[in-house]
Amino acid sequence: MAVRLLSKLKVLPEVRGVTFATAAPATATLSDFDAQHKTPVVRKQAIIPVAHYGGRHLVTMLPGGGIGPECMGHVRDIFKYVGAPIDFERVDIDPTKDNDDDVQYAITTIKRNGVAIKGNIETKSEASYVTSRNVALRNELDMYAYVINCKSYPGVSTRHKDIDLVIVRQNTEGEYAMLEHESVYGVIESMKVVTATNSERVARFAFEYAKKNGRKKVTTVHKANIMKLSDGLFLETAKRIAKEYPELEHNDMIIDNCCMQLVAKPHQFDVMLMTNLYGSIVSNVVCGLLGGAGIFSGRNYGQHYAVFEPGTRNTGTAIAGKNLANPLAMINASVDMLEHLGHHYHADLIRRAVEKTINVDKVLTPDCGGTASSSEVVNSIIHNIGSGVQPFGSIK
Amino acid sequence: MSFITRNVFRALVQGSQLSKGLHTSAVNGDKNHENAKEGRIKCTLIPGDGVGPELVYSVQEVFKAANIPVDFEPFFFSEVNPTLSAPLEDVVNSIARNKICIKGILATPDFSHTGELQTLNMKLRSALDLFANVVHVKSLPNVKCRHHDVDCIIIREQIEGEYSALEHESVPGVVECLKIITRAKSERIAKFAFDYAVKLGRKKVTAVHKANIMKLGDGLFLKSCEEMSKMYPRIEFEKMIVDNCTMQMVANPNQFDVMVTPNLYGNIVDNLASGLVGGAGVVAGASYSADCAVFEQGARHVFSGAVGKNIANPTAMLMASANLLAHVNLSTYSRQLKQAVYTVLTDGKVRTKDLGGQNTTKDFTNAVIHCLT
Repeated sequence: MAVRLLSKLKVLPEVRGVTFATAAPATATLSDFDAQHKTPVVRKQAIIPVAHYGGRHLVTMLPGGGIGPECMGHVRDIFKYVGAPIDFERVDIDPTKDNDDDVQYAITTIKRNGVAIKGNIETKSEASYVTSRNVALRNELDMYAYVINCKSYPGVSTRHKDIDLVIVRQNTEGEYAMLEHESVYGVIESMKVVTATNSERVARFAFEYAKKNGRKKVTTVHKANIMKLSDGLFLETAKRIAKEYPELEHNDMIIDNCCMQLVAKPHQFDVMLMTNLYGSIVSNVVCGLLGGAGIFSGRNYGQHYAVFEPGTRNTGTAIAGKNLANPLAMINASVDMLEHLGHHYHADLIRRAVEKTINVDKVLTPDCGGTASSSEVVNSIIHNIGSGVQPFGSIK
Repeated sequence: MSFITRNVFRALVQGSQLSKGLHTSAVNGDKNHENAKEGRIKCTLIPGDGVGPELVYSVQEVFKAANIPVDFEPFFFSEVNPTLSAPLEDVVNSIARNKICIKGILATPDFSHTGELQTLNMKLRSALDLFANVVHVKSLPNVKCRHHDVDCIIIREQIEGEYSALEHESVPGVVECLKIITRAKSERIAKFAFDYAVKLGRKKVTAVHKANIMKLGDGLFLKSCEEMSKMYPRIEFEKMIVDNCTMQMVANPNQFDVMVTPNLYGNIVDNLASGLVGGAGVVAGASYSADCAVFEQGARHVFSGAVGKNIANPTAMLMASANLLAHVNLSTYSRQLKQAVYTVLTDGKVRTKDLGGQNTTKDFTNAVIHCLT
């Protein structure tokens, strides 16, 4: 309690770090979800009880636009088949409306459920006062870290094999601060905001993640040679935090070089830490290397909320309703969600089935070189889950 | 004396009926539960006292006939029969492991022989932290009652409040009983109620209280509910004093949707509402903790007068087990079972005594099985 108060007053940032570090070993017995709710760090929102009753979790579902609703349908089918103990609270956001009521409601539901799975939400309004809803959601819930784990599937033919890297991206500030103005007619300034607090949080998150998942190296990606102060601060913070993790190797790389290295020699990377816009670029580069936008899932983490979504955040409006969309990204996001909630049994069942579908059966949608339709992929996954499903698996 | 022998005999008979018997608790204690058959679910079973074993037997018969993939792990658990009762820890461990349980009613004697104030029921609830009790009161087809189309859900906090078991005689002739209300538990039950309403697509939550008299205790409960309601802008929230609530309930029960109550009021309102739709034999309930769910009758009456007479109504127990099936994602079986019970009730040919018929528990069970197959 005292630590919590101190950190609230921002008197001792080191103390905050220590509490996080000491709290980390305890997570071995807790699911990520529990740990997130118990780790004593800065709490901006009042804590409300978790929506977890009788072994079932209530989770917000935001289908979003484009291919979102159909992919959510696939996830529901699979969950129903494996009997995942999850209840969905579906919130639809009308993209044509100018007001933010639906988005605010969605944010409220995530606040009380703690966890959400989402597709990409469209913002059709051109009015400048309507901000991007995805960004609004992330900012409002203070989800400062975004994680994509990109691991090659042998069944998808790509130029590089056996890539396994993790991208940790600052998710709430930097270029996405949405502060733009026209100071003089014809001159527009866009602000990039980097703060020490958020840089430290995301850096610590990256190192903790690396430590917890047995990773060896963290690479900080930046452009501090040009943006000496803003990216400089981000880099300095990462270097300072790195000293607390002597067991992990740390290096830094300039974003332009990083992109080149990624397409030429991607195996040198392990965990990558970067600011917001670079994260957007790099994650798309990596997903492109490994078979396209439709496969990988991303995770947004805040102090006590977590939102799971397809990795590259594309709406895919052009192929909506044509049974062509790749359902894998959303399915992988749902597996991440199950893991986060501690339902490892069901997560493993689905993950194994997905891997078998891709690597052995090679049932793939056209975007990764296959010929199957979305529903064929889903049916194959359901088939691969097999009949030995324990409908109400043990939650451990 | 005859009472005891009868109980012993019944327990033994029941042990042999339940395929595994009484003494399985030692076997269940070890950790070799991994070899559960693929695709089957294990469920703890507490037959309880009074007509409990007969009703539970009916459930087992139906499950067997419908080929429902649930295996039971039975425990004889009773407060009035402490010598035969399985130890509390065994039962708690079993439920914690299986996550689900079907429970008959446990008789609670009015006088404590050991000087202990907590009943076995309360011990079980607090050991598993079964904080929320849900009773879905719904009019059944072809059950003649004064009111029609009653459909409300009563959610009751059942860990604290008046059931704290903290009583003492401070001066001879003066007994104090403490009612404990905490913010954490009030918020938890309020959130549960709203989440339940969200899950079932309900529109309104009514908080039942007596904050005009107990300004601090019930006041805290009410305040917690009010604060929680702000997180649910699309669900209407209203509050009602418990005395008015009971009056409204018998006069105009259709106005209620989801109700959230502290412990004792919940108990009263549960029973009152059950009476509105046909009595203790037809209303199913469930208790939830974060991890486990225990399915039982909504109004807990032992009905000891009917023991061995084969006249108790198994509807409540069958509905509770259907809810259990839905909870563990066996919704097809759940729907089938519910549909079968509805069909039997609608036909009205087989009726137990409480619904004005002459049929036995066995007849009703067979009728349900007949509808299923």
